Amino acid sequence: MFEYIWLVPLFPLIGFLVIFFNFRRLKGVTAGVLASIMVFIPFVISLFFFFGLMNGAEAKTVELFSWISFNKLSIPFSFLIDRLSGLMLLIVTGVGFLIHVYSIGYMKEDAGFNRFFSYMNLFVFFMLLLVLGSNYLILFIGWEGVGLCSYLLIGFWFKNQEFNNAAKKAFIMNRIGDLGFLLALFMLIHQFGTLNFAEIFSKSSAIPVGTFSITMITLLLFAGAVGKSAQIPLFTWLPDAMAGPTPVSALIHAATMVTAGVYMVARSNLLFVLAPVTLMTISVIGIATALMAGSIALFQNDIKKILAYSTVSQLGLMFVALGSGAFTGAMFHLTTHAFFKALLFLAAGSVIHALHGEQDIRKMGGLKDRIPVTFWLFIIGSLAISGIPPFAGFFSKDMILIGAFHSGYVLWVLSVAAALMTAFYMFRLLFIVFWGKAAVAADPKHPVHESPKSMTIPMSVLAVLSIIGGFIGVPALLGGSDRIQVFLAPLFSSSEAFLKHGAEVSESSEILLMTIPLLLILGVIFLAWSFYVKNRNIEQEEPERSFLGNLLYRKFYVDELYDTIVQKPVAGLSTFFHDTIEVKVIDRFVNQTGNLVVWIGKNIRYMQTGNVGAYLFFMVISIILILVLNLFK
Amino acid sequence: MKAIIALSILAVLNMFFGVRKMKKVLLPLIFIGLIITMILNISDWGKSVHYFNEMFIADNFSIAFSSVLILIGILIFMFANIYYKGVERPLEDIYALILFAIIGGIVMASFGNLILFFVGLETLSISFYVLAGSKKFDIASNEAAMKYFLTGSFATGFLLFGIALVYGVSGSFNLEAINTYILGCNGNVPMIFIAGMLLIFIGMSFKIAAVPFHFWSPDVYTGSPTLITAFMTTAGKVASIAAFYRLITIAFISLHSELTTTLTVIAVLTIIVGNLSAVYQDNLKRMFAYSGVAQSGYLLMALIVLGPKSAGILLFFVLSYVIATITAFAVLMLIREERGTFFIPAFRGLAKNNPVEAFAMAIAMMSLAGIPPLAGFMAKYNLFVLTAEGGYTWLVVVAVIGSMISIYFYFKPILASYFSEGEPQHKIESSVNFKINILVLSILMILLGFLPQVIINLL
Amino acid sequence: MIFSKYLFFILSFIAIYAALKVLISKKPMHSVLYLTLTFFAIGGHYILLNAQFLAVVHIIVYAGAIMVLFIYTVMLLNLNIQGEFPKSRLAKFASAIAGGILLFTLIAVFRSYDLKVLADPSLNQIGLVKNLGKILFQDYYLPFELSSILFLAAMVGAVMLGKKDIY
Repeated sequence: MFEYIWLVPLFPLIGFLVIFFNFRRLKGVTAGVLASIMVFIPFVISLFFFFGLMNGAEAKTVELFSWISFNKLSIPFSFLIDRLSGLMLLIVTGVGFLIHVYSIGYMKEDAGFNRFFSYMNLFVFFMLLLVLGSNYLILFIGWEGVGLCSYLLIGFWFKNQEFNNAAKKAFIMNRIGDLGFLLALFMLIHQFGTLNFAEIFSKSSAIPVGTFSITMITLLLFAGAVGKSAQIPLFTWLPDAMAGPTPVSALIHAATMVTAGVYMVARSNLLFVLAPVTLMTISVIGIATALMAGSIALFQNDIKKILAYSTVSQLGLMFVALGSGAFTGAMFHLTTHAFFKALLFLAAGSVIHALHGEQDIRKMGGLKDRIPVTFWLFIIGSLAISGIPPFAGFFSKDMILIGAFHSGYVLWVLSVAAALMTAFYMFRLLFIVFWGKAAVAADPKHPVHESPKSMTIPMSVLAVLSIIGGFIGVPALLGGSDRIQVFLAPLFSSSEAFLKHGAEVSESSEILLMTIPLLLILGVIFLAWSFYVKNRNIEQEEPERSFLGNLLYRKFYVDELYDTIVQKPVAGLSTFFHDTIEVKVIDRFVNQTGNLVVWIGKNIRYMQTGNVGAYLFFMVISIILILVLNLFK
Repeated sequence: MKAIIALSILAVLNMFFGVRKMKKVLLPLIFIGLIITMILNISDWGKSVHYFNEMFIADNFSIAFSSVLILIGILIFMFANIYYKGVERPLEDIYALILFAIIGGIVMASFGNLILFFVGLETLSISFYVLAGSKKFDIASNEAAMKYFLTGSFATGFLLFGIALVYGVSGSFNLEAINTYILGCNGNVPMIFIAGMLLIFIGMSFKIAAVPFHFWSPDVYTGSPTLITAFMTTAGKVASIAAFYRLITIAFISLHSELTTTLTVIAVLTIIVGNLSAVYQDNLKRMFAYSGVAQSGYLLMALIVLGPKSAGILLFFVLSYVIATITAFAVLMLIREERGTFFIPAFRGLAKNNPVEAFAMAIAMMSLAGIPPLAGFMAKYNLFVLTAEGGYTWLVVVAVIGSMISIYFYFKPILASYFSEGEPQHKIESSVNFKINILVLSILMILLGFLPQVIINLL
Repeated sequence: MIFSKYLFFILSFIAIYAALKVLISKKPMHSVLYLTLTFFAIGGHYILLNAQFLAVVHIIVYAGAIMVLFIYTVMLLNLNIQGEFPKSRLAKFASAIAGGILLFTLIAVFRSYDLKVLADPSLNQIGLVKNLGKILFQDYYLPFELSSILFLAAMVGAVMLGKKDIY
């Protein structure tokens, strides 16, 4: 049945072409419905494929046509359907479909409704190419294609210059990573004479661990992943990318495109395990990103920015898993993250929708009774991302933490710290937005309203997935069978041999590893509750009180103590990361490279004087040089 | 050979009807004539006929490149009526000069003898000099013609001198005979011969506008009438690179290893200078002139590593360049016609009012920049792989960096037409014919991107 | 034999001197006249090489037709009064040096090759009308015919540029 795999990317492509070329003719929600159907059909097909794979169908490469062939090199245009791509297919089409449906409601009043859906379908098409490609070149085409769509969609409201800049920033930062990817492709051709996954991985098994060329290739591939998956130092585009419509943030910048880097590394696991240096680098960059983005998220006030930094942080955790060789853990977290982060973004979109475009959480509050459906969905999402059992995030995060533990205690401790930050900023967000009093008086002209059914139903489906999604990976300890591990085993088992594990974790310490973070997370949530619900400690103007009253009100300044010893330094660090490292160092470096090119371009044109005599003079000098250098060696 | 005869008859017929003031007949006549020429040209495919004492060799390489030249003719005439809208005169002389230039180009793609090569080159160049100045009351056009003529004849002088030196030492104009002479020297080729060869290459570098012999091209391409610029930058480059390839692969193949250093340095300089200079240009026509310089650098890469596929890759590169450039210039002409400027703001909001034109422009620019999966990407990709396989990895790195810089300026019009803020410019009326033409060309660029082997395997 | 050798040097001297004067002269008319002189000297070289036909054609075409055209142009445009464009000393200096180096490079190249006299040039029969015609219409028939297209293109171009229309 896998012969029909080409149908999967075909439908979104047709959707894109039909909508793009008729985008003035399609009226009402036609385009949205059409686009959703064009994603739904591949989803159904993917479901069949997935169950086929579950029942043990063999992985298969489907060659559509011969594309590039050289004396030695041959790259067919072919698709690979195996358990990894099957899983990704399901995520892309499933989550993609839900977000398409949600967007019908969300974008209804936007003038660019049809344009929006044409881009969305194009994005799904490229994402499917990326996932299905059976060689690095097709993966690269999809990779570039999703980058283009991301650019188009971030700058979707192109009348705003700031949004345009965000789009450009995303585009340029991704190009930097892509250069690494491209160089890696050339090196792969040089090393293996092919770009096909199957051939490369079969040839790589003969190569000893730690050779220079493999290390370079994997580092360059990882550079591509750094750009696409927003890791240090190329992560700053992602928070800015929130300029796009919220469904875009949910689909592209949370669930699918940004995880392409994780997918690519997981796909190339057999190469990466040959380069311990690269794995080390991935772990370090991953954990650094997770901590830095997490700490920045603690004190942001824009609802979408918080979620964006959270995404960066979660991606960092996935890279930690990849770096410690827990490929299954990374893919598992990728899957559950796609569910709950998409849910959170959509719910945030619903909040923004209800408040008519307000994104500052300090101006929200008390929404829990006014938009109850969104509220409950948001709670589910927050519980899932914070890793509270039995929600999906618990199991996937647990798998990552155990993977990190294998690589050493330090990595585990830091990963737990990142997880704690996650819980804190998510519940801070939740408590500030939904509890307390409304910070802004309700405008009678624009009452706060619950979102339409077309938005809440997709969210509910995602919420259900966020609850039960984790059960595919219940560890044996809790009486589960860890089905995802078994499912993906054919892909990752052969690389297991290369990884040096520490001592096997005993059952009792595994329980400890599971419960300690859980208890800490619950503590952090309680802390957030006491800050933002009990005391409603939001930076707004405070009334004056007597000394004693003040002392009591402030609970003997415990909070202030906390403020000085914990919050201030952390806040300072957060500001430092954001203002100094992110804005001054990283942004400036990236901008200066571009400026240098423009500067050279500006000055090089003075060679073009317009004077024919000067031209002839330059020519004669060059002729003399060529003659002398060639003849009188 | 048949193509040359057919084109000559066509040019004379065209002038005859022009003198009779039968304006309506001209373009249909030229189209029919060019299509007949194309068929005649292709009819020799695979036969490898040699005409007139090895003077003219109709092998597959020359037929393929001649076909590209005839295709350029067809495409240019397709957009001629848009550019010359509102001109009462039949314009038979301009059309005739374009046809003469194509004849010169075909000769340059098919010569077997240096004398014929020179005659072809001069036919092409003289037609170009006049065409560059064909907008007689425009001072920029006059300047372009004059500059082109002065620098061009200067370079031709060196080229002719080179031919004379090569002839003086080897005693023959025939390419094969020259190669036999080199082989007969047993690696001890006289310096004077190498000097002659270098001078010929210098002349050719001038013709394809390679750095440091590129100075004429920005001024000439900016000043010339736009349609003519589109023609000169495509036809001139195709014919010259074909001639260059013939010279290197037939006459001087045994000395190729001595030339690679010079060619590599020129290619690197051309890619870097061309791309960097284009970055700052807001005038699209001038930007195209510089980007054309950069493209010449990529073309030169095909001459550095000679493999069994390099002719095919060169053909594919040239074809994708021609289609993309002419499409972009067609849209540019339309915009210039309506808005009176070549600057980027003229593209503001193009996507909103003229989606087809904006789409074609975007595809053309992306193809030139080398964005997958368009034709331009496959062309560059194949070329880079060929070069990398030949061991010139760092040249590929330079070329890739150059391509990345080029994305910056190739995307300017796309950004302006799709994402610019502010009021969009008014709608431009264009005929259905025009829309179909550029759409077909855009689709061709996409198709070629998926089926490069069809073209590459031809040669 | 000796005589023709001296004649060669005299003609060469005249040709190079006149060519230099073409560049150096301030008045265009003088330049044109020196150019005529150069052509005559080169015509003399042709005769030394036993190529009478070429010599005659050279003098008729260049010295006769083209020079007359030049002179008419110069006189009609009154270029004599305007003089030449002012050029900076630096530009002159730079071009002289560049040209000089190029000259020395080429001389060095030529010196390295032992130029042999293959046959007595005065006995060379190739320049005679009969032989030239044979070669032109047999071996070099195609370039000869294609030159007609080249000239046609040049003529069409000249006529086009001469007309008054905008295009």
